[in-house]
Amino acid sequence: MANDKTREPIMVLENLSVDFPVKGALPFQKRKLIQAVTDVSLTIASGETFGIVGESGCGKSTIANAMVGMVKPTGGKVIFKGKDLFSLPREEFKELRRDMQMIFQDPFSSLNPRFNVYQIISEPMFIRGGSTPDEMKARVIELLKLVGLSEKDLYRHPSDFSGGQRQRIGIARAIILNPDFLICDEPVSALDVSVHAQILNLLMELQEQLKMTYVFISHNLAVVKNLCDQMIVMYLGKVMESGATKAIYANPLHPYTNALLTAVLDIDIDNQRERVLLEGDIPSPIDPPKGCRFYQRCPFAMAGCKHVAAPLVEVEPNHFVSCHKINGFPADSDSAENRTPLRADDGQV
Amino acid sequence: MSDLMLKLRNLKVVFPAGEGVIRAVEGIDLDIAKGECVALVGESGCGKSVTSLAIMKLLNSPPALVRVDELKLDDEELKDYSDGKMQELRGQQLSMIFQDAMTALNPVMTIGRQIDEIYIRHNNLSRKEARKLTVKALDLVGVPEAKSRANSFPHQLSGGMRQRVLIAMAFACMPKLIIADEPTTALDVTIQAQVLNVLSDMQKKHNVSLLLITHDLSVVANMADTIYVMYAGKIVEKAIKRDLFLKPRHPYTEGLLGSVPRLSDEHHHFIQIPDAVPHPMFKPTGCYFHPRCSYCTDKCKESMPPLAKDVGGREYRCWHPLNLGGGAKDGK
Repeated sequence: MANDKTREPIMVLENLSVDFPVKGALPFQKRKLIQAVTDVSLTIASGETFGIVGESGCGKSTIANAMVGMVKPTGGKVIFKGKDLFSLPREEFKELRRDMQMIFQDPFSSLNPRFNVYQIISEPMFIRGGSTPDEMKARVIELLKLVGLSEKDLYRHPSDFSGGQRQRIGIARAIILNPDFLICDEPVSALDVSVHAQILNLLMELQEQLKMTYVFISHNLAVVKNLCDQMIVMYLGKVMESGATKAIYANPLHPYTNALLTAVLDIDIDNQRERVLLEGDIPSPIDPPKGCRFYQRCPFAMAGCKHVAAPLVEVEPNHFVSCHKINGFPADSDSAENRTPLRADDGQV
Repeated sequence: MSDLMLKLRNLKVVFPAGEGVIRAVEGIDLDIAKGECVALVGESGCGKSVTSLAIMKLLNSPPALVRVDELKLDDEELKDYSDGKMQELRGQQLSMIFQDAMTALNPVMTIGRQIDEIYIRHNNLSRKEARKLTVKALDLVGVPEAKSRANSFPHQLSGGMRQRVLIAMAFACMPKLIIADEPTTALDVTIQAQVLNVLSDMQKKHNVSLLLITHDLSVVANMADTIYVMYAGKIVEKAIKRDLFLKPRHPYTEGLLGSVPRLSDEHHHFIQIPDAVPHPMFKPTGCYFHPRCSYCTDKCKESMPPLAKDVGGREYRCWHPLNLGGGAKDGK
C-alpha cells in the first residue's frame, strides 16, 4: 500500500506471522501450531484511523498485541517510527513503547477492582516515574474532564461506574502519557448499543484534539465505515481484502467481505437487504487450509481454491483482494479442473 | 379462551438494598399473542432480565419481592403456583434461552445427556428413546452430524453451536412460550445472522410465542412483531414494529434508533443519547428519562406521565410525544 506518497508511515508490518504452539493431548505427540497470523503486511500512516475487521479467531487481536510488542512474532517485522521493535535493546524499547497504548474490549475485567480511579489512571505515569504526586493528581483531573468524568470521581472504585463510564476510565489511562499511536481493541462491543455512540464520539474528539493515530479493531462494519480511513478484512489469520475504506464499501469484492456486510443487521425495516448467509463455523487455525483460507465457507469456491493459495492483488488503486474468483488463478495452476465450482447451486459440497 | 399466550398485569419487583430499596420493575403490563414474537428492549439495568425471570418465577424471594396482579399463561393463572408446580411447567410449557451458552450449559455433562434429561423428566421416556428425540432436536436446529455431536461436551463446540444447543433445549418439549434473553449478544456477526435465522424459523414453524429480550434494536427489526421499550423499570413505549421504527413516539425510542450505526450513514459523527441510565436506587423525580431528554420541560421534571393509549394498541409514556401528526400538542 506504499503507492500513496503523501502517507507518512508510523507503523509498518512486514510479512508478520505469529504461531502459537499447542501441546498435543498425549506426551511425545507432535506439537501442533496455531497459525494465528500468517504473512500480513500493512502500512499505517500517521494521523489516520486504520480498521481491522474480522470474526473472532481471525487474528486481529494477535496483530494488535504484536504491534505493541506483547507477542513475539515467529516471522516478519514490526516497524514503529522506523525502528524494528523486536531488535531494539530493552531500554530503547521501553522508551518507544510509551508512545503506543491500548484500549481493551471489556471494561469490567481491564480495570483493577481494588484500585480507585486515581490509582488506575495515574499508574502509567507512576511506572514511568519522575512526576510528583501533585503533578500526577493535576494531570489525572485534567484527563477525567477530558473524557467526560468529573473531579468527584477521583477516589471512587470501578464498581461504582457503569460500563460506558468504565470505558472512559480506560481511555483516560491509555492517553495519560500522550501516546501518538492508540490501539482500540473492540472498545464498544461489551457495551450497550446506546452507549456505543458516546464512546465512539469521544474517541473521535480525542483524536482530533491530540492528533493520534488509531488502529480500530471491530467486527461491526457499520462502525468501521464511519470511523476508518484505511482497513483490512481478515479471515483465519490472513488478509482477504485491504485498501481505502471508501473503495471497499463502494465495491466489496471478496465473497467474505460481502457476507460480512450483509450480515450487519439493519434497522431499516423497509429496506431489508438480501443476505448472503455463510454456512458453517470458522475452522480451527490449527492446520488451516493450504489454499484459500475461506474456501470451506465460500459460496463461490472452486476446486483449485482448496490447494492454490490466493495472493493479495491490487485490483484498483489502493484496493487489494485475495481471491481466485476475482483475480483468476496464477498461470501455473490455471486449468479447467481447478475452475470447476466446488458447490452445486444448493450450496452443498 | 383468549388468543393471548401470556397476560402479565402490574408486575412489580423490589430488591431491598442496604437502607433503601431498588425498584427494578415498577408495574409492567405485557401481552403476548399466540405465535407472536414480542421484543422487550432496553439498556442494561432497565429491568428487562428481571421481568423475564419473574415470568419464569425464577427470582428467589427473599431477597426479591415480587408482586403481580395477573400472570396467565394460556389462561392458566401461575401467580400462586408453588415451586414444585412451576418445575413441572418449566421446560414443558415455558422455557428460556440464555445469553451466555457457556455458563448455561453444564460443562461436565455431554450436551446429549443434558437434552435427554428434559425428555426423561417431562415425558417419562427411557434413555434410549430420549436420545432418539435429542438427535432429532439437534438436527432441527442445524447441528451437523447430530448423532455424534450429542456426545461432545460444551467446550468442544463453537459459540454458535452452543447457542443452537440451547435453542434445541428450549424447543425440546415444544413449549407454549419461550423467553430468549439476549440470545446472540455474545456471537460474531455472521454467526449471529445464522442463529437468528434458526430461532426465527423454529418459532414460525412450530407457532410458539417468543419473548425476545435485547438491547439491540437491529436484532428486533428482523424478528419481532410487537415491541415494548423499557426504561428504568417502566414501559415507555409499546407499538407494532413498523410504527415504532418509522414513527417513534417516545424520545428515548428515537434516541435508541438513532444510536444504531447504519451502513447507509454518510456522516462522521454518531448520534448519541447523553449520560447513562439512572441508578435504580436514585431515580429522578417526574419522568425518569427527563435528565437525558432533549424535549424536556418543567412538567417533565415534576410528574411522571401516564401510559397514554392510542387506537391500535399503541402505548407511550411521555408528556410530549413525537410524530403525532397534525401538530404535536405541547404540555405548556
